[in-house]
Amino acid sequence: MIWLSRPLAGGLAILCLCTTAVAETPALTAAELAAAVRSDAVSIPTPGELMAALDKQGKPDWSARIRPPISTNYSRRAQMALNLGGLIADGYIAVEAEDAQQVKNLGRDILEIAKALGVPKEIRDRGKSLTEKGEEKRWDVLREELEATQNEVKQSLAANKDQPLIDLVTVGGWVRGTEVVSASIDEKYTEAGARLLRQPAIAESLTGRLKALPEKLRDDPVVKVVTEKLDEIARLVAFPRDGAPSADAVKQLHALAAELMKIISTKEKK
Amino acid sequence: MSGRILPALFAIVTLAAAAPAPGLATDEEVAARQVALEVAGAFQNDGFKIRDGVCTGRLEKDVPKVIQVNLFAGNEYWLVLGAVAPAKKVQISVFDETGQPVETEPYQGDAASAAGFSPGVSGPYYVKVTLLEGDPAAFCMLYSYK
Repeated sequence: MIWLSRPLAGGLAILCLCTTAVAETPALTAAELAAAVRSDAVSIPTPGELMAALDKQGKPDWSARIRPPISTNYSRRAQMALNLGGLIADGYIAVEAEDAQQVKNLGRDILEIAKALGVPKEIRDRGKSLTEKGEEKRWDVLREELEATQNEVKQSLAANKDQPLIDLVTVGGWVRGTEVVSASIDEKYTEAGARLLRQPAIAESLTGRLKALPEKLRDDPVVKVVTEKLDEIARLVAFPRDGAPSADAVKQLHALAAELMKIISTKEKK
Repeated sequence: MSGRILPALFAIVTLAAAAPAPGLATDEEVAARQVALEVAGAFQNDGFKIRDGVCTGRLEKDVPKVIQVNLFAGNEYWLVLGAVAPAKKVQISVFDETGQPVETEPYQGDAASAAGFSPGVSGPYYVKVTLLEGDPAAFCMLYSYK
């Protein structure tokens, strides 16, 4: 096991280093599993984590996954929130592609939508560091900045009692991440790659949150489509632990996610 | 804000209603996060990236907390638990989605515990945090990956 051979860095005092006694550890009960804490901050992985896993199977051409700029001028807050999540996921793609100009552009777009959502200036000012770090090409730092920016924006929305919008930010980011990763796997299909797409708990959580949105938001035309399509996407990422989706299933997943992102980013015609 | 190193480090938000605390609500939680970050920081030299998000709350003896994480096969993870006095010894353990314990490489400090592993299957895992010795105290759970 890789862990047993890796030296612990940082001069920490190790009091005990031994393999866990799995056989002596009682399993979790059904009640414990059901009552487990589920929080965006640790239960929803960042797009960067999924990309890191995919990178190990041969680095995809992330620059090919960069999409053309989208509008940052939406009239409805639900659509703003969905696109904000998508743009933050785009930031991870730009970082993986090591495209400094894209990072700067996305930093600007993220701040514009955050402003429209009422995120305070002091938070948006701090978000400017995305642009600065992009100029400095500090890729590892940028990954952390992206997550921190997202957390900060979500915290601001939470302070305004806008929890439903937080859910939409999360959904937008997850769909965009799923779109780009499924595209890469579709392009060079392997079973090992396809297994990475398994995310049943996240899909279930997000579909549940969409269905629990306040009626006014549920009736938003884009949210309605997202709710419907996310159900289909959820089915495709909920395959058995010992299985892998077929090449056709991956293609279908990518098509669904791509179609959904297009709907999310399309500005309503007046 | 806690003493995070990066210039744009922002407050942590835990978003689900079931979360033990809506962010770092107390000085104790900030201190617990610092303990967890010190342990996680040691793994950064090996290329592990620390997530900005954390789960905080209060640990009591015989009342462990279980937290869901979603991990990817092929990545390596360190799941880290930090606590502050009067907690004396805490433990973190990992379970798969069926509730079965997962074999991990443990790190055990006084008020810190970490579990390293590389999941064979992508999907949900459960992290159990337990107060083994001492009195109720704030805790912070976070993880790093590469």
